[in-house]
Amino acid sequence: MNLNVSIGSIVFDNPVTVASGTFSAAEKFYGLKGWKRLGAIVPKTITLHAREGNPPPRIWETPAGMINAIGLENAGTKAFITDKLPGLASIGRPLIISVLGYSVEEFQSIVELLAGSPEIVAIELNLSCPNLKQKKLVAQDPQAAQQIVAAVKRISSKPMIAKLSPNVTDITEIAQAVEAAGADAISLVNTFSAMAIDIHKQKPVLGNITGGLSGPAIRPIAVCMVYQTYKKVNIPIIGMGGIMTAGDAIEFILAGATMVAVGTANFIQPQVPLDVLNGIRQYMKDRKIADVKDLIGAAHRA
Amino acid sequence: MSELRNIYKIISNKKVCPRFYHLKIEAPKLVKNVRPGQFIHIRVRDSVEPFFRRPFCVYRAQDSIDILYEVVGKGTALLSAKKKNDQLDILGPLGNTFSMPPEGVQTVVMIAGGIGVAPFLFLTDQLKTRPVHLILLYGGRTKEHIFSLAPFKKNGCKIYTATDDGSVGVRGRVSELFFHVPKDSRGTWIYTCGPKPMMASAQQFAQEHQINGEASCEEVMACGLGACLGCATKTKEGYKTVCYDGPVFDLNELVF
Repeated sequence: MNLNVSIGSIVFDNPVTVASGTFSAAEKFYGLKGWKRLGAIVPKTITLHAREGNPPPRIWETPAGMINAIGLENAGTKAFITDKLPGLASIGRPLIISVLGYSVEEFQSIVELLAGSPEIVAIELNLSCPNLKQKKLVAQDPQAAQQIVAAVKRISSKPMIAKLSPNVTDITEIAQAVEAAGADAISLVNTFSAMAIDIHKQKPVLGNITGGLSGPAIRPIAVCMVYQTYKKVNIPIIGMGGIMTAGDAIEFILAGATMVAVGTANFIQPQVPLDVLNGIRQYMKDRKIADVKDLIGAAHRA
Repeated sequence: MSELRNIYKIISNKKVCPRFYHLKIEAPKLVKNVRPGQFIHIRVRDSVEPFFRRPFCVYRAQDSIDILYEVVGKGTALLSAKKKNDQLDILGPLGNTFSMPPEGVQTVVMIAGGIGVAPFLFLTDQLKTRPVHLILLYGGRTKEHIFSLAPFKKNGCKIYTATDDGSVGVRGRVSELFFHVPKDSRGTWIYTCGPKPMMASAQQFAQEHQINGEASCEEVMACGLGACLGCATKTKEGYKTVCYDGPVFDLNELVF
């Protein structure tokens, strides 16, 4: 059975990874054998400079999901390289590092700082960052997104994965724009803008007022976006959004995802990525499918 | 993760006062590994509704893992309906532990508000063999929040109670009971757990009298493993996670 998939020049053992921000910081759990079977590991987004994060409450439970507004708390790229990277590298899986800059130059600086680490096989560009010239996110502006992708492609040979926001009218437009700028893959999707209001205090629940919705609640919308984008681009898609089971992951693959990332489920059942991997194997075995690539986008051919 | 996550069986789940329940779980492995101050993370049912696990500090770990909890929402309401022999999916033990009081401490004062009393029985199970006086200052909103504190008494605690409406003990907040605390910066050690305003008043009192101690904190929590950074609480050194850096913090380090 062949579970290999590729992004750019990188071949991954299998299509199962984790979504950024859902797997990190917990150094004491890294020793666990199971993680050594994942296709890749994507740690929490790093920024060039340290960020304190948002005031609490930072998370809120919703029907079949959660809203988060963590605020990209991280120690900055240099501290990441000295303090976190050795632990992550010791897991022995390919690392895809999620990065966010507050300008084109910041994106370039982070990518340059990461250049010397061979265990980092690819970079995920978190484009849900403010677009300083316009009052929206880079991921909501095809030109701004293109500019960042092109700028990092100029200085690095590592595959660049553009992570897009679903908070747009037509996600396929942004996907096509980043493909044209040289992106090697697309991650679909980041969280949906959301908020909750405390009816007793009559004020927003989250310290940051608004946040991003994730979990099974968003899954059908994410599957739809992967399905639509698959029709429009030729580069691989990493599908994510509320995957809790192997069946959920297979839905994304059939819609057109080359890889799948388990995100919020890691907060509920930490073994879900491994269950998903085993479940994909079982599904292929049951149906005598020899190569996982035969499943990618199969729903379009049915 | 297999070493952290297990399915355990319920021994009993009883109402101990109008607001609180006492859950006993058959979990020999947890009993062996858990330390005072740590918590377990329970998935109250195999469903995406409610979505999060629910964290509970361990009330006692002798023949079983005991949890004392208040029914406050969907998760605890579902938990309260569980019966003997029902199974629970549990991650744990998680988080750090209470430190034992330093050399020279003669009096340990536990300042607890409501269900915040829960981590202290396990603590006194360990402290009772030490040559220290144990004092429990307990504040509940009404008599509906007062359950039998006999196990604390049995562990040698001197208990003082306050309720907001005066239905049990002194009328007022638990801070009305602070005059029982020996104002001895080397000889007294404070542990506190409860609503933030109460812990803030405990901190203020401790700082006024240069007393040290620890506080067990609570925030809305998702992963319990330090991965999501959702349960951040403010400290003098910036945000820290309740689940991974805590739940126990130096009382004077917290920023309320």
